[in-house]
Amino acid sequence: MDRKTVNPRRLNGRRLFSEYSYVVSFILILIIAVCVNPNFFRWRNITTIFRQSATTTGIIALGMTMIICAGQIDISVGAQVALLSGFGITVLNATGSIWLMLLFCLAGGALIGTVNGVLVAYGHMPAMIATLAMQTSCRAIINHFGQGGPFAVADGMSTEPYYQTFREVANGSLVLFGQKVPYPMIIFIAMGLLFGLIMRRTRWGKHIYAIGSNEVSARLDGVNVNLVKVSVFTMTGVLCGFTSWLYSSSVMAVAAASAGNAFEMDAIAAVAIGGASMSGGRGKIIGSFLGVLMFKIINNTLVAAKVPTFLTGAISGAIIIIAVLLQNVRGRRR
Amino acid sequence: MLVEMKQIVKDFGPVRAVDHVNLTVHGGEILGLLGENGAGKSTLMNVLAGTFPPTSGDILLDGEKVVFHNAMQAMRRGIRFIHQELNLCNDLTVFENLYLAQEIRGPGPLLNKKEMARRSAEIFRRMNVDIDPWALVEDLPIAAKQLVEIARSLLFKCDLIIMDEPTTALSNREIENLFTIMRQLKEEGIGFIYISHKMPEIFTICDTYTVLRDGCFVDSGRIADIDEKRVTEMMIGRQLADSAFDNKPCYATEETVLGAENLTGETFRDISFALRKGEILAFTGLQSSGRDELADALFGVAPCKGTLTLHGAPLTGSVRRRMKRRFGMVPRNRKERGIHNDLSILDNASMGYYNALMTRPLISMKEELARYAREKQALSIKADTPANPITSLSGGNQQKVILARWLEAGADVLLFDNPTQGIDVGTKFEIYHLLIELARQGKSILIFSSEFPEIMKVADRCIILYMGQINRIMERSEMNEEDMMYYSTGANLERGTAQTDTAERMVP
Repeated sequence: MDRKTVNPRRLNGRRLFSEYSYVVSFILILIIAVCVNPNFFRWRNITTIFRQSATTTGIIALGMTMIICAGQIDISVGAQVALLSGFGITVLNATGSIWLMLLFCLAGGALIGTVNGVLVAYGHMPAMIATLAMQTSCRAIINHFGQGGPFAVADGMSTEPYYQTFREVANGSLVLFGQKVPYPMIIFIAMGLLFGLIMRRTRWGKHIYAIGSNEVSARLDGVNVNLVKVSVFTMTGVLCGFTSWLYSSSVMAVAAASAGNAFEMDAIAAVAIGGASMSGGRGKIIGSFLGVLMFKIINNTLVAAKVPTFLTGAISGAIIIIAVLLQNVRGRRR
Repeated sequence: MLVEMKQIVKDFGPVRAVDHVNLTVHGGEILGLLGENGAGKSTLMNVLAGTFPPTSGDILLDGEKVVFHNAMQAMRRGIRFIHQELNLCNDLTVFENLYLAQEIRGPGPLLNKKEMARRSAEIFRRMNVDIDPWALVEDLPIAAKQLVEIARSLLFKCDLIIMDEPTTALSNREIENLFTIMRQLKEEGIGFIYISHKMPEIFTICDTYTVLRDGCFVDSGRIADIDEKRVTEMMIGRQLADSAFDNKPCYATEETVLGAENLTGETFRDISFALRKGEILAFTGLQSSGRDELADALFGVAPCKGTLTLHGAPLTGSVRRRMKRRFGMVPRNRKERGIHNDLSILDNASMGYYNALMTRPLISMKEELARYAREKQALSIKADTPANPITSLSGGNQQKVILARWLEAGADVLLFDNPTQGIDVGTKFEIYHLLIELARQGKSILIFSSEFPEIMKVADRCIILYMGQINRIMERSEMNEEDMMYYSTGANLERGTAQTDTAERMVP
């Protein structure tokens, strides 16, 4: 009440900053990147950043945004990618069809995600625990089947006809306006737009925000809370499946023990940098989208600056801390 | 010990919660402290128990003036406050709870569990109750938990026990047991201050009374000299009528819209009623009356047996299905069950529409804004931009946004559960006028409320619940606050057979 009596203009200014702090962070990082690496804005560099995002955690982060907005968490995404990539390649090798592999990955992801969701919604398990168990299980299973070597497309024989076809998925590109645009970049941008639309303009999106904000109110508003919870996990599983397909194509040989390592952390960090509230209810697709890019730009810049590889993690960590602190400065006001 | 409070004043900022109140309790006496919600009872007791100091006024123990700066000091002087909510740790054992923060230790830093358990058992023996000190508090029935709270006050030297509505969760048989213990302790010279809204209890257990109203002292004396009608009159005062609503027309028609037959849930049973088109039907009752659960059950968020029909067809299933049948509920407790803190004003207002009426796949911003603008005008919501968070609004305006949510969901039968909780008088009156206007438009309205003046302003009929059952149905012409209080406290059922009968049935 008393807060309403202060100048509403000023409040709006602060709100604007708090809502769009990820844009500020993004621009800051762009400036730093250009200073360190004058070649940053070369088209080739840009497409590389997008391709790296899409074939690793970019698309997963979109699903993670939904999960976090619903007040949940999923730490099994990295292990899901390892499992689906490994078995996906097995399917590919057996059938020679990249589309059957895609279908397998999507269906498998949906299944794993749904199990996660059902454990959380109907089994009343904390999401952290349910997905931790899923993470351990997935990783163990794929390690077991991957013993004695990685899962390689066509066992590494590039003479197989589908070898080249599959390689094209992550490495091919479309020529648009005289520029080569990699398929993963197109897919990533399209997915970002699609999920932005879902979160902003559909009932499903509104329900996700509603249950993350206040589950009791949401139930009284007629939201089927359990179903929405399951749906976000299922969708994230599907996106993990899709990512597995792109990821496999970009690496062509997947090591069971290390594939998708730390994907969950990168995805969660991207969502956090993107301004989402970890307790649910607030967060934007565009924020996470830029968050993912920020990550890759940082890595890209660190490489250009010849920072030793093992140290890059520490610097990324520092940047996450700074970006999130920036948001919390205004958060304390609440 | 003689406890006297003289000319106690307590201000919270500009609000005077307690205004020159006197109160006296002797050892071996049970004083009933009476008053409506917000009359200042709890504040006065908190002053006595040292939770906060009075703004002015004195507390005298056996004629000696004392000043308490915190609850511990009051406890050392033998004053124990048993709060309304139980303050027990469910995961600890009974004796661990009793000795919490006052553990007996030895040797060294280790707890002397045996000694604590032995002394706890001794206390229970003195109280003549059978509770195992080694039991987990979680496993105890609620009545036993209440007794553990009382035992806690007896562990150390204690002369005065303050009990704030100790019986809300107890069945009548358990209440009887509690009273036996109180009488026993009274024999030992311990004084009590007993706060309860249930008249029969006051008249059963108390020796003397003190009545507060709006923070002021009204009267005190011996219980034997007064009756329940007189107490009720003193509690609510005489400044009632609000002429604006005196001639409220009744828009009820003969057509039954919502019919309930023998609804039985966890805390209510055999509820039957028929809501007519255009009617405003009120439900009231005390905390323990099952009112809240009944409201939830009607909306499908609490389990219940029995038949519920809407326009003649059975009303079952999820909240969303009920909404699609044009049945809406404005929930109580806006903060916990109404608003979405993180969402904008617009999203908060549109949530009902999304779930009940929206058929197209994509939300149209333009349409949402138009809808919001319409409600904003109709309800005179004071807000600058709809994209602002709902938390930027005052309580009254937040409540209007919630009302807008349900009006836009297109409901023609609306359930309002405590719709004016925690909002200012001006907005309250706006909401009353809105309710009447909705009835005029032919909508049928159920209103659940604990505020009698509110019901008298808007309701055509009022159902009074007591201990989960319908105690009385009043037509508008019969409504008055005295009788409503009388029936909602179950005073008409007095200590006779009727009540023990209820008690038997209420035991789970």
